[in-house]
Amino acid sequence: MSATHRLLSTVGVHPDVWQADALAGAPQRVLATGDALLDAQLPGGGWPLGVLNEILQPAGVHSEWRLLLPALARSGSRAVVLVGAPHPPFGPALGAQGVLSARLLWVAPSGSAQRLWATEQALRCADVDAVLAWLVQVRPDQLRRLQMAAAEFDKLLFVMRPEQAQAESSPAALRLWVAPSDQPGDALQVRALKRRGPPMGSSLHLAARSARLSMLLAAQKYALDRTAACV
Amino acid sequence: MHWIALQPASDAALADATTAWSWWALQFTPMVARVESALVMEVSASERLFGGSVALLARIFESNRPLALVEYAQGATSLIAFARLQCADAQAPTEHPIPADDLPLHTLAAARAHLPTLQRLGIANWGQLRALPRGGLVRRFGAGLVDALDCAYGQRAEVYPWLTLPEVFDAPLELAASVENASALLFGARRLLAQLQVWLRARQRGVLALELLWELDARRSNALHVDAHHNGGAQGRLELRTAEPTQDMAHLARLLSEQLARVTLPAPVLHLRMRSLQTQPLAGESLSLLPEDVRAGDSLHQLLERLSARLGRDQVRSVLLHADHRPECMQSWCAAVDAIKSGAAQAYSKRARGQFVLQEMPREALYPTWLLAMPLRLNVHQGLPQHHGPLTLLAGPQRLEAGWLEGDAALRDYYVARSKTAGLLWVYRERLGGQAAGVPASGAQAIWYLHGIFA
Repeated sequence: MSATHRLLSTVGVHPDVWQADALAGAPQRVLATGDALLDAQLPGGGWPLGVLNEILQPAGVHSEWRLLLPALARSGSRAVVLVGAPHPPFGPALGAQGVLSARLLWVAPSGSAQRLWATEQALRCADVDAVLAWLVQVRPDQLRRLQMAAAEFDKLLFVMRPEQAQAESSPAALRLWVAPSDQPGDALQVRALKRRGPPMGSSLHLAARSARLSMLLAAQKYALDRTAACV
Repeated sequence: MHWIALQPASDAALADATTAWSWWALQFTPMVARVESALVMEVSASERLFGGSVALLARIFESNRPLALVEYAQGATSLIAFARLQCADAQAPTEHPIPADDLPLHTLAAARAHLPTLQRLGIANWGQLRALPRGGLVRRFGAGLVDALDCAYGQRAEVYPWLTLPEVFDAPLELAASVENASALLFGARRLLAQLQVWLRARQRGVLALELLWELDARRSNALHVDAHHNGGAQGRLELRTAEPTQDMAHLARLLSEQLARVTLPAPVLHLRMRSLQTQPLAGESLSLLPEDVRAGDSLHQLLERLSARLGRDQVRSVLLHADHRPECMQSWCAAVDAIKSGAAQAYSKRARGQFVLQEMPREALYPTWLLAMPLRLNVHQGLPQHHGPLTLLAGPQRLEAGWLEGDAALRDYYVARSKTAGLLWVYRERLGGQAAGVPASGAQAIWYLHGIFA
């Protein structure tokens, strides 16, 4: 048994080779997500830099800031480019959560091709730390292009897509499906559709809101309960 | 004295190779002049500075990346160098230079008018001409020939109208064929840009603004056309601006191609012209060895300019924060190229990095990360706002009364609400002006809006 283990040991082999039942090591640079539960499920323990990360969400739901803000806040001090954001980002709120508003750059191209072009241009810029792109209709070969650009310039790249894209193939190194959970208490349900490691058994439930907001809501609930008790 | 004569090969990459070469030569010596189609330069005074004549020649001819191939010859006087250049068709210029006495007569410009007569006299080269009696030569052919001969043998100072580097770059270009499509103007413009680069390098400046002018073929009646680039006259004009002075012609060519893609030419174009409008001294590049200073890719202002050129300047936005209580007035998204130019977003520039103006919200601030561009009016059912199903109000009210000074008073009660499908929302109830504060509006009257999404 131990002999087999030694034979199959991946120590000293190329870092892109890993045991099928374990997460890949950390050949690439990663950025901690700020969430220990999520870090434990990601190869290398965080968002990988220089690859394409895909986040799939149901229509009308945009929980990406909750997932990405802690990492973006620590990603550096250069620009964060938002390509085709679905709503106007609220600078003061993002600033309060650590992403200085002076870093934000909101690019609003009109068509799908323009979005891809703008994303790729942003990846090629030295003064950009992270690129967030909301792409609705995109072909795998176009994503592949983005993946190559991200790898060449070692950027943090997130592509937000609708959940219908689950069935399509994608060159992304990490694909996460994110949705509000049905469970009570506002959890955020996260499942890795694709990662460098074994398939994910059950989905992860993360707190859906920042600690500050949770505290406010708890305090409010407490006050309401007390009022009810007095009456 | 050490003269070099240059004959630039006509080159497709440059608009005017001889002028470009003269600008290039001016960085080695101030004595550069044009003789017929060639250039002559006197370098004996600069040889020591550049480390000897061999090193100087290597510098002139081997580090001239923007410039084309060139034929050259050397000599003790400009006329000898120029004459050797004319003879040096096949042989290598430096190996066996022809002695001055053996140079054929046709290479001396002053002798060309008298060439048949001199040939009948049996005189074929400079040495034979010089051996003739001086007085007779002056009487027969005029003083010009003798003076030229004196110059050629270094017995007389050579004075030329010396070339200088112009203060403003302004170069015309005649196109080989008439161009009907604006994008095709780029090929000509590239040659002008290459010329501009030589000028910028020679002046050690970077360009901030330049204009491209084109002349419309006046024979076409529809030349009287007015749009953003044409004012009804025979000329069209396109202005190009960059945020930081640059010598990077690839960036300028990309910007130019984006801009030219939007130009419609009312008539064919035969002449192009490029002018620099604004330049600035360019600091040398920092040759840092630290790995964090050496990053692959363009700079941010190049990215912004390229994105703005293709997508439109208002589609590339950066945020400005304002001190206001109304959420929609707390921020304004404006064109990022303007923000960089006005210096409002100095945070982007390398120098100001890490010195952000501390105008951010305190970390306790609880605002939604998405703010709808326009508040969305919600349906109300049984006194409760609806958005894909009923909303549960979790926290609030947070009362806001602002804007009364500007005339459109905002009287709102903000709540954090939960939706089954969309997560946490930020909604507000508009309080009507007449209501007494603190008295909750009855369900029928209250108007609810969705203003933000916590994500």
